[in-house]
Amino acid sequence: MKNKLIKSFGLAVGLLMICAPVFAHHGGSEYDTKNLVTRKGTVTEFIWANPHCQVFFDTKDDAGKVVNLAIETLAPAVLKRAGWSPETLHPGDQIAITFAPSTRGTPVGMLRKVVLPNGKELTGGTIGELPAQ
Amino acid sequence: MRICVVRSIAALAAVLVFSTVTIAQAAEQTAEAKADTKSKTFDAHDFSGVWNPAPRMQPKGEVHPLDLGGHPDPLPPFTPTGQAKYLANKKFIDAGDVLDCDPFGTAKNFFTPRPFENIQAHDRLLQHFEYYDNWREIWTDGRDFPGDLEPDFMGFSIGKWEGDTFVVESHLYNGKQFLTWQGFPLSESMHQTERWQRVDHDTLKIVFTFDDPKMYSKSWTITYFYKLMDWKLDAHPCTISELKRYDDNISHRDNLPGRDYKPQN
Repeated sequence: MKNKLIKSFGLAVGLLMICAPVFAHHGGSEYDTKNLVTRKGTVTEFIWANPHCQVFFDTKDDAGKVVNLAIETLAPAVLKRAGWSPETLHPGDQIAITFAPSTRGTPVGMLRKVVLPNGKELTGGTIGELPAQ
Repeated sequence: MRICVVRSIAALAAVLVFSTVTIAQAAEQTAEAKADTKSKTFDAHDFSGVWNPAPRMQPKGEVHPLDLGGHPDPLPPFTPTGQAKYLANKKFIDAGDVLDCDPFGTAKNFFTPRPFENIQAHDRLLQHFEYYDNWREIWTDGRDFPGDLEPDFMGFSIGKWEGDTFVVESHLYNGKQFLTWQGFPLSESMHQTERWQRVDHDTLKIVFTFDDPKMYSKSWTITYFYKLMDWKLDAHPCTISELKRYDDNISHRDNLPGRDYKPQN
């Protein structure tokens, strides 16, 4: 039953996402914005820099193996407007990140949302009036 | 089994109902905001302030200046030279080598989904684009294009008023930048015209006309809108060391050459 509920929810989210215009990331990386992934893990590094900030965190893959994911965001200027600062993340923080994974199957993604250790949620900001892709 | 299906349908319906309510609330708020915007007075000749692009307001059917899944449709009216240049540029972009520090030129700056600030002086309008910290001068003191100026990335711009429309003419581009994020090209023959109109307090409309006979068989236009924001621009200079770190951390992990890309001739 749980699987069916998850599938139903996934279908609904999928339907809603189809309605959104697709803007590719401005670098070469292509992200699967239709199949977002959420992982819990431990921050190993947070780089606050242009052109895009980067969050590195250890998490477990589907086989239970620890992997270090590199999740990029938009630029610091965009994150500031979404409530971030250079002090938002620190090594050792337990977080949950929702991201669009790379279509190449690499441990890389584009951040959509983070849940901080205190439970606060932050999005990845917007480009123009659109969310980060 | 039947209960599972019913519950699944209920969950789906709940999500859709919630979404519909959220969309309805958003529409209501948008309508209120629109009414508020219409009632605010403004000076049609004042473009000062920070403006953020609103790509969703672009009329349907026009060439879109941001990448739509890598397959922009429609495409601009390329010449054979323009088509070949676009395909070469696209390979460059697909390799992740778009992140360089060359000034963006005027069109690409306008179509970058980041804010810019206009500062009006007695003899010129200054534009500060947040992304890569690019600056542009639009001369409004009646001067003509200089005869002795070397072409560069940002070109040279002069502006004049036609009623409440600010008409900007630009050329003297060096042709080394892309016109848009998808890699639409421009050459040294590019002549760009912009027609600026403040359509209400919060909205700036600019119609861009591109005339570049080397790259395009006829002139073509893009209509783009910008919203007035109560923001301050943030620092976003382009620095090679940060680009290199980005390549090492993201591009290379994603099996992309990034700035190490070398075009194959």
